[in-house]
Formats: sequence, structure tokens, C-alpha cells
Amino acid sequence: MFLALREIRRAKTRFALLVAAVALLVFLILTQQALQNGLITSFVGAIKRQSAAVLVFAVDGQRTLQGSVITPALQKAIESAPGVAEAGRIGQGTFTVVVGDAAKSNAALIGYEKSQLGGPDRLSAGRMPAAAGEAVGSAGDFSLGDRVRVVGPGKAVELRVVGLTDNAQIQVSPTLFVAWPDYVAATRAFNPDAKTVPPSVIGVRPVPGVSAGALTTQINKTSGDADALTRDQAAEKAPGVAAVRNSFNLIFLLFALVVPLVTGLFFLIITLQKARALTLLRAIGAPAGVLVRSLLVQALIIIGGGIAIGTLLFFPLSQAKVGKLSLSFDPAAVLFWAALLLTLGLLSALVAARRVLAIDPVQATTGGGAR
Amino acid sequence: MTTIATDLALQMERVSKIYSVGDAQVVALDHVDLTVDADEIIALVGPSGSGKTTLCSIAGGLLTPTDGSVIVGGQDISRYSPKQLTRFRRESVGFVFQTVNLVPFLTARENLLVVDEIGPRTGRRARDRADQLLDELGLTDRSSNLPAQLSGGERQRVAIGRALMNEPDLVLFDEPTSALDTQLGDQVVNLIRHEMKSRGTAAIIVTHDDRITHYADRVARIVDGRISDPGARDD
Repeated sequence: MFLALREIRRAKTRFALLVAAVALLVFLILTQQALQNGLITSFVGAIKRQSAAVLVFAVDGQRTLQGSVITPALQKAIESAPGVAEAGRIGQGTFTVVVGDAAKSNAALIGYEKSQLGGPDRLSAGRMPAAAGEAVGSAGDFSLGDRVRVVGPGKAVELRVVGLTDNAQIQVSPTLFVAWPDYVAATRAFNPDAKTVPPSVIGVRPVPGVSAGALTTQINKTSGDADALTRDQAAEKAPGVAAVRNSFNLIFLLFALVVPLVTGLFFLIITLQKARALTLLRAIGAPAGVLVRSLLVQALIIIGGGIAIGTLLFFPLSQAKVGKLSLSFDPAAVLFWAALLLTLGLLSALVAARRVLAIDPVQATTGGGAR
Repeated sequence: MTTIATDLALQMERVSKIYSVGDAQVVALDHVDLTVDADEIIALVGPSGSGKTTLCSIAGGLLTPTDGSVIVGGQDISRYSPKQLTRFRRESVGFVFQTVNLVPFLTARENLLVVDEIGPRTGRRARDRADQLLDELGLTDRSSNLPAQLSGGERQRVAIGRALMNEPDLVLFDEPTSALDTQLGDQVVNLIRHEMKSRGTAAIIVTHDDRITHYADRVARIVDGRISDPGARDD
């Protein structure tokens, strides 16, 4: 510690610049991570938020709620599949709405037949709908008490927001969870000629002892037209989600390479620069372990400091909204990146440590150092 | 680690050092015998490449001999492992090198304290000793200065203080005046003699500088890896 701290104290600018570089990279990583999470949540957050453990799409629906249409025959086949304890219709559509006195805008409606099979699994405020015309809105887009009018060529539908739920958008749109009759009414407001309103998917609960994964296999065996997915699969396999994740993963990989590269090169350069001092210390009896420990303490201080400052910079941004995307502060992501960057940073410092271990103390007699 | 009862600070017997350079073998030291009394100052002189630095490096545990025995302060270090030699250097010898002597990012006082910090720390005792040495060397008011802020003579004095921090049995000086002008060189050698004699510490001073030999108790001459003249003690 003595050597590590004294050196940092005497070369504040040099070490501070590296801390700033690491902090900037951490800030960028956490921001990218929040953007990825926000983007995916805006695309498919409502699928994760709804309560059905298994969602059954029509094969032709390409695993999108809006593209899937469940025929009565397919619905019957799903309901009769082995392992199904309960099934309920779920519909989704995007409608023109007027919120309060605001101008017209678009909102997605998710209609559920049974609240435990398609309704929001938890609320951040308010209560679940108990009467006709009541809705749960995506937090950040709606407020409790908002009046929402679904407008179209047919009869307008009046909704009132009585509950709010987090991370519940779909297709980057403000989203309302409503009971099935209100969904049907909204669809007819948009399309007055619709004779029937088919569900987009069927939400299914497995019997006790059957897992959600096993149930999807059973349902898919029962009907070739069914595409049953667990809730998480439905979210992850939605079109575009994998592409978004892959793109961001590539960016993360680059960042994860840059941080250890920057710290590794920094410590290698300063180790080479102070090679004569290190040789002198070895000559007067400093064990190599003491010098390596000093190097690793410095790496720990710099990467730890960078992570702390980067996280502090990110925190206010994480409370903001970028366009329609809500960012969030994810402690698990911060811990993951902190652990990964610390590990990679310390590993990269080992290259410099090898140089320290290679120092021959007799070189002090010639004024040489590590090469 | 066994200790041998002896009054000698250094006892080298038939010490050889042979380097392999490609297929050839270079004899740097050839059956050297040298003894240094507990408070004796020896000037080791000889032409370049004669083996002076190799001899000092072996006496200081920086190199191991190919053959022969080396006893410093009662410790036979001839067959010490690298780890044992590191500890020996930390605890039993002091070095003042020709060129790099101080850690540039440590102050004068910290350059002395680092000797304590790299081993089992003694804390206050080390701080007191460092302050006392700096006082004796006339460096109290320069103790917070970095090496770059010190003159050449002051840097050498700090290096001498650093070499004395661990209360060594033997201090090895490698051309301590080579970077100093005549007047400063005299002052530094005078200081070395004073510090060694006042502590009863033995020293070997490797030098080309004939003026230094006047301050030594004995002048040993080395040529082609052999001690040609071990010198006579001033008894």
C-alpha cells in the first residue's frame, strides 16, 4: 500500500486521467445497457408483464401479438391439450386514443378474458380494474385517473386508468390492460363492421406438476397450428429482440475489451517507465510479491474508482427518458459490469506484473531495469 | 538460516563466478579470497571489467557464486535461494549504487522508510531511525523533497541514509563519487567514513577514484577477476 499510494499521490494527474477514462467507459457501458434494456422493454415489456405463464400464438402470427389470430378451432384444441389447467383469450391492438384533453395519439390495448391469464402480474400504483371501462396503464405514459377515449369510425370507448404497472409497453407504445369486453368494444370503435373479435393469443396455466416449458411441448404436439411459448420465450423470440440483443452484445464485447486493454497498457507503460526504481527496490530486498501487490492495489483503486465515478455519472441519466424509451438503474447490471471490469482489469495488469517478476536485481549495479 | 560465529563482516573464500556467453565461458571472478573486519572500510580498485562489481554483487547477495563460500555477518549466503537472498539484502546489507539510488516518486524520508515498508514493518521505530539518520546526514530540512528536488550530493547522502536504515553488517558502495565534482566527492567520502566508523559498520567502496583510497583502511586491488593485492591493514 505504501508504494502504491505514494506513487498515486505523486502522479495524481496521470492516475486521475486513467480513472476518468475508465469512468467514461463504465458510463458508456451502463448507458448502452440501459438503452438495450429500455428498448427491449418498450418492444415486449407487456409480454413479460402479463400474468399467463404460457402464451399460444397461431403459427402464422410470426410470434407477434398483433399478427397472431386464434381461430375458434385452434382455441378449442389448445383448451383440450393435456396439461392445460385453464385458458383465457388475450387480444392486442393499436388504437387511436385521446387522453384527457390532449391531441390524438396511439396506444396499445391488451385485452384479457381472465385477469390471472393476461392481466398485469403486478401494479406499481392503484388497483386492478373492477368494473367496465377501467384500465391499468403503463407507468410513465399514463397517470392514475387519466380518462382515455378510444376513437374511430364506430362508437368511442371511454376508459379510466385505475392502476399503473412498470415496464409494460409493447411496440414502443403507451399500453393499457383492459378486460376483454372493453377490448372488444375498442376494436369495434375502430372497426364497426367486425362481427367477431378473435383473440390474438391464448394465455394458458399448466396443471400442478407440469412446467410451463413442458406444457408448450404438449400444446405444440396437439396442434400444428399452435405455437406455444413460455412468457420469457414469447418476449425473447419476438421479432427484432434477438437482433437488438446481438447488436448491443457486440458493442459490449468491444467495451469489455477496451477497458482491460487501456488499463493493461497503462500499467505496462508505467512499469516500463519506473523499471529502474523497481530494480532498485528489488536490489535492496523488496520481495517481488510486494511490488506486484502494489501494482494490483493501484489497478484496483483505478478500476474501482472508475466504476464508482462512472456509476455516479450514470445514475441521474438512468432516471431520464430518451424519446419514448424509459431508462432505468439496474443494480444487477452495475454489479455484473463492476465485477467483470475489475476481473478483466486485474488480469490485464498481470502483464505488467510479469514484467515486475522478471526484474533481475543485479541490474541495479549497471543502472538497468526491466526490459 | 545458520549463523556462524565470526568477528568478520565479510569472508570470501575461493569465490569464483563464471558466466556462460553462448558456447564460451567468461570467468568474472577467479578463486577470490577476501575478508573485511567488522568496522573496516576497504577500497576495491581495479580497471574496468576486472570483476569489482561482480565481487560486490556476490558479497551483497545480488549474485550467487559459481564456487566458493561467502559469509556475511556470520551468514553463509553461498547457497541461498533467491528468496533467502532477497531477505538477506533487506536485512543484512546496505547498497549505494553508482547510478540509480532513489525511488523518484518517494521523498527523501520515504526513501529511507521504504526499507522498513518492504519487510516486516516496525512503524515508529523505523520513523524515528529515519529522522535520526536524516538529521545526522544534515537532511532534516530536505526530508520532504523528492529526489528531483535534491542536489547530487544530497541524493548521495539520502542513499547513504537508506543503506544504513536496516543497521547492516556491511555496506557496499559502487563508485559513490562518480557523478560528483571533486569537492562534493570529498565531502561524500568523508561522510561515508564518518558514518561507517561511528557505527562500527564495515564497508567496501568500489572505485576508480584514487582520492577515495585515502579514506579507506585498506586498498584491495583486483585484476582479471583475481585479487592481486588484498592490501595491508592500518593497524
